[in-house]
Amino acid sequence: MGQGLKDRLVVTNDTKYLIVVRDFIGRMIKQSRVTREDENKIVLAVDEAVTNIIEHGYDPGVEGLIELEVESEDTQFKVVIRDSGRVFNPESVGNPDMQRHIKAGRKKGLGIFLMRQIMDEVRYRFKDGVKNELTLVKYTK
Amino acid sequence: MPAFQILKEKLPDGVVILTVRGFLDAHTFEELEKTINDLFENGTFRLAVDLSGLDYISSAGAGVFIGAIGTAQENDGNIILMRPSSNVKEVFDLLGLSQIFTFKDSREEAVRALK
Repeated sequence: MGQGLKDRLVVTNDTKYLIVVRDFIGRMIKQSRVTREDENKIVLAVDEAVTNIIEHGYDPGVEGLIELEVESEDTQFKVVIRDSGRVFNPESVGNPDMQRHIKAGRKKGLGIFLMRQIMDEVRYRFKDGVKNELTLVKYTK
Repeated sequence: MPAFQILKEKLPDGVVILTVRGFLDAHTFEELEKTINDLFENGTFRLAVDLSGLDYISSAGAGVFIGAIGTAQENDGNIILMRPSSNVKEVFDLLGLSQIFTFKDSREEAVRALK
């Protein structure tokens, strides 16, 4: 069995750090068993999760921390994202109707749909002391 | 190099070519949204967007096009997308947008599609 790989990153809730998050996830993927084909998609799913926290988790002007913990194992690539912002369960959000989205000129609300499309598992739990914990898993074989 | 860059070129027949480069995400999408809204305010609704220099797009970036295409079409215009990389095109595919947007391989084809 191969050696598991683990690392973490903490950023504040500012969209300027999305590029840092993507670089971190991209670096971890390159050391993992994830295929090149899935690399961009997993980076995107994590970007969408962090963007949701930045945009909806905190009131304007309130600074908060977002922690990302990556665990890469033989059979899966797992990203756990924790924040202490507003309680938000993505499982409560349905999939969008794209035609209606366009008709209404709606631009938002697509991130959770993308996460579900890309990842094999999207799990949310409310955790004491942390608040929101979102786990994204991609199977690697 | 800046994280995101937009170049604007107005053709004699009123079509505007937007060339976007870099990363189009929740940090940069507002710049593109403003550029497109300014064009709409000035009566330009026929846009061709060259995506060949775009390294990355998230749903916030794709959302700019979703939010704008309806207005363009209601005003006898359209938004034609050109030459996305496979990574960028994949995001449109995942969102189910590839049937809604027209993609062209060259500027000539894109401009022709807007006539």
